[in-house]
Amino acid sequence: MELNLAWRLFRHEAKRGELTVILFAIILSVSAVLSLSLFSERLRTALVERSAAFMAADTQLRSGEAFTDDWETYGNELGLSSARQVNTRSMIFGEQNMALVDVRAVSSAYPLKGTVKILDKPFGEITEVDFLPNTGKVWLDSRLFQLLNVAIGEQVYIGEASYTVEKVLAEIPDAGFGLFNTEPIVLMGISDLEQAEITGSGSRVLYKTYFVGESSTLNRFYEWLKPQLDDEIHGWRSVEDDDSPLSNSLDKAEQYFLLASLLAIILAAVSIAVAAQRYSQRHFDPVAIMKTLGASKRSIQKVYALQVIFIVLLGVVLGLVIGFVIQHLVVMGIQGSVDVSLSVWHWRPVFIATFTGALCAFMFSIYPLLRLFSVPPLRVLRRDITSSLSARWLPFLAASTAIFSLMWAYSANLTLSMIMFVAGVTLVAALVVVSYGLIVLGRRLGQGQIGPWQLAWARIRRRAMDNSVQLISFSLTIMLLLVVLVMRNDMVEQWRNQLPEGTPNYFMLNITDDQKGNLYQHFDSMQVNVERLYPVVRARFVSINDEKINTQYADDTDDNPEKERAGREGLGREANLTWDNVLHPENEIVAGEWHDNWKQTDNAEHYPVSVEEGLAKRIELKLGDVLVFNVGSEQVTAQITSLRKVNWQSMQPNFFFILHPQALTNFKPTYLTSFHLPAERKSELTRLLQPFPAVNLIDVDARINILRSVVDQVSLAVEFILVLVLVAGALVLIAQVQASMDERQQELAILRTLGAKGRLIRQSVIFEFVIIGVVAGLMAAFANEFALFLLQTQVFDMSAQLHPEYWVIASLAGACVVGILGALSCRSLLAMNTATLLRRIM
Amino acid sequence: MVHDNNIGSEISINVNKATKTVTTDEGALQILQPISFEVNSGESIAIIGASGSGKSTLLGLLAGLDELSTGEIWLQGSPLHSISEEQRAQLRGETVGFVFQSFMLVQSLTALENVMLPAQIAGLDNPLEQAKAILEKVGLSHRSSHFPNQLSGGEQQRVAIARAFIGEPSILFADEPTGNLDAKNSDKIEQLLFELNKDKGSTLVLVTHDDELASKCDRQLRMQAGVLTELTH
Repeated sequence: MELNLAWRLFRHEAKRGELTVILFAIILSVSAVLSLSLFSERLRTALVERSAAFMAADTQLRSGEAFTDDWETYGNELGLSSARQVNTRSMIFGEQNMALVDVRAVSSAYPLKGTVKILDKPFGEITEVDFLPNTGKVWLDSRLFQLLNVAIGEQVYIGEASYTVEKVLAEIPDAGFGLFNTEPIVLMGISDLEQAEITGSGSRVLYKTYFVGESSTLNRFYEWLKPQLDDEIHGWRSVEDDDSPLSNSLDKAEQYFLLASLLAIILAAVSIAVAAQRYSQRHFDPVAIMKTLGASKRSIQKVYALQVIFIVLLGVVLGLVIGFVIQHLVVMGIQGSVDVSLSVWHWRPVFIATFTGALCAFMFSIYPLLRLFSVPPLRVLRRDITSSLSARWLPFLAASTAIFSLMWAYSANLTLSMIMFVAGVTLVAALVVVSYGLIVLGRRLGQGQIGPWQLAWARIRRRAMDNSVQLISFSLTIMLLLVVLVMRNDMVEQWRNQLPEGTPNYFMLNITDDQKGNLYQHFDSMQVNVERLYPVVRARFVSINDEKINTQYADDTDDNPEKERAGREGLGREANLTWDNVLHPENEIVAGEWHDNWKQTDNAEHYPVSVEEGLAKRIELKLGDVLVFNVGSEQVTAQITSLRKVNWQSMQPNFFFILHPQALTNFKPTYLTSFHLPAERKSELTRLLQPFPAVNLIDVDARINILRSVVDQVSLAVEFILVLVLVAGALVLIAQVQASMDERQQELAILRTLGAKGRLIRQSVIFEFVIIGVVAGLMAAFANEFALFLLQTQVFDMSAQLHPEYWVIASLAGACVVGILGALSCRSLLAMNTATLLRRIM
Repeated sequence: MVHDNNIGSEISINVNKATKTVTTDEGALQILQPISFEVNSGESIAIIGASGSGKSTLLGLLAGLDELSTGEIWLQGSPLHSISEEQRAQLRGETVGFVFQSFMLVQSLTALENVMLPAQIAGLDNPLEQAKAILEKVGLSHRSSHFPNQLSGGEQQRVAIARAFIGEPSILFADEPTGNLDAKNSDKIEQLLFELNKDKGSTLVLVTHDDELASKCDRQLRMQAGVLTELTH
């Protein structure tokens, strides 16, 4: 009987549109969570793929020594594709000049991810290629054509071998992002390296084997390989360890998606709560009737449990379909500009969305259902009797538990969950206080003559509890929207600020003292603005607090400044020292004091040096440590007086060590500077550098473009998420207003029957909603500041700031949106004739 | 299950010193003074009285919808005063039918489904056939697939009457059955109610403030300020 009855009730109610609100809430929650998480999963895959492209593979096995073929063979047996690279530094000789180069000898499968790019001429137009240098041929970086004064087809010499210059090399995927230690690259086939005889004993060689395959296979391979690896020699890097300058932005974006998804879940939860409440109230009569007709409590429980199951099932299925369609449409829409693919299917978001919908529906309907079950049969005689259950703490407890567990389970981030939860609870507590304040105020304002304002205040006062619940749900919704909006604005702005238009895209190294003046003059005449000059002295690291540095194995071909290296040994032999009294832009002192006030007359034994904090951490340096460098044949001793945080993503010249100017007065530096040259003026490069043949030019335009395109893509994705959450929020607001209009129907019907003018009723409803909207908006703005402060300082590692403009915007928007929605809902009610209206409430 | 054989089966309802007291802000308020009376099987009684006199409270108690404060009420031999809500529900399902002033139809079920509902709850055989037959009897077979809001007040009440009689209940409680209807519809409903009641041989307890309707019953009891007195013809 129960199944039959439940099914019939469900079918009829669905047909008659009475399940719309609750179905809509579930559909909203499921589709929002599905589309958001499916999209962010797709984006994550795309970004991982992109990271993989920067590594030339999914994983790299790196070693300071050549390793056995067995490992690669076993990997291939497991189904992994592989490639190799041998990487060393050597001198390259042209007929006239020579230069230090970064030799990359690669196997034919290289690169497994990403592409090799060449130029049609030095500093010319870039093209992707899917082939590699032929036997006996090499591809040279643009700079080498300038340095060696060679041309395509001519011979160059490395070690014992000679090679023909075949192409101009633009980029290889795993070239790295740093500016220093970047010798120009020479690319050749791996079989051509041996004849050069540059990898023998005493040389510093890095052997890389690249692997690509299913992540489970890669894990299996790593599990097998791990016991055979020696930490001192080998390194295993996968895309997850990617610490390229992109990763920070991407991490933040991912956190943003997570946050947005959490907020979407809360929005959905709020709408389900509202809908479940309404659903339960509408069923008070049927339950009372069934009880009167002799149905047992158990039967009624079964009937409604089954109904809820039907509703949830339908809601989840429709939600999944709609969510899928939304994200499909969006991905199709932005596929051109964002690297997301629809070809990969992810199950996790489907499970998460289903789980979310079901859990929300269950947790938020449990209290309304319990209330429903306790409706006494006597209601058939006395309609004023509702439910005998009224534990107000229960719904709050159930709601809090559900929201918090969902947030935590979904984000696996306790801090983030706590922040949003604490902000929410604070908001709710504040709102309770404010809503009671409003009631007191309303008591004064609502007295006297009956006008729309008085009616509005009177309703607010009379429906104190309902209004506080409504106020809370409006404020929560507005707050969540504000958090998503402001967070996005702040984040995108900070990203964009990192690489503003006109960011230098070329660096010049090895500028001598004599060239300085000419250089400025020449560039000036060609209307190219040169940034400041940084003096650079190449030094060798000797000791830290008298402890000698062992630099036998160093991986300074990997120019990523933030890479983890194996302790102090990992530093490498050489360091670029600079000096300055002025703290560089994008640098921030995090410990000690900047040395601008230091004087030699102080009792200090050594010159002060400021060290980059990441490096200090890696090689265990602290304030007060004494460092000894070899510069040429002389030694410089300096004591660490400050640690600096450096923004490596700024594409500005950055230094690990900045000494006091007096420390290096006796040494002759070269200079480093940068300039911006728009893409359309690229052809002027040769002319620009012609007078300074010894100056090394580093083209970072491509890198900046990569960073920019990633920031743009992520910003676009963030934008999409924002729109999605805003739409979800707007829909929730509509549902809330709609639900609250139902509760007002009776009063409106009575006022109408008594002959109140539509204008009076409409105005009073609008005023009531406007008052609620203003308060909700204002409260949401304050709670937003609180949540943002916690989020930006604790989770996103951003600087927090106040947003007073949103205090006004939120209250105005709250008043307008809630007021308009109220007016619209009221209009449809007033459009009915009084008899229909009365019949609806009977 | 809850039948007590000590009570004669010819007595349908036995009320013994039943009272109802509710707690209000100003203290305890006795709505019903001790009330005692009996109703025989097949008999029809009318409880009349002004609004607020306590007649609906009495109806709620007689039908086991509400709990009495002191005293006893036996319904078809079952002690309503000492059985649980669940047992009372079962008893209602087995022996009682209802007709209300505001019809009390489930809005999301059709006329036919509303009529079937008690039969389904009681687990009767062929509820569909029975419901169709009784809808036919009340003249609404052509509107069986309509929802309550698609029916007129008179039609809704006829559906409610069909629903009340489907399980062939021993007792029928009617609370102001014509209170929401115009004169023409009221007459039809009254006629239908008494006809079916006679036809099925059930006991009828009718609550009304309409003396004319009350006079059609075998006995009239007047409720006034919680005190019940039997009117003699």
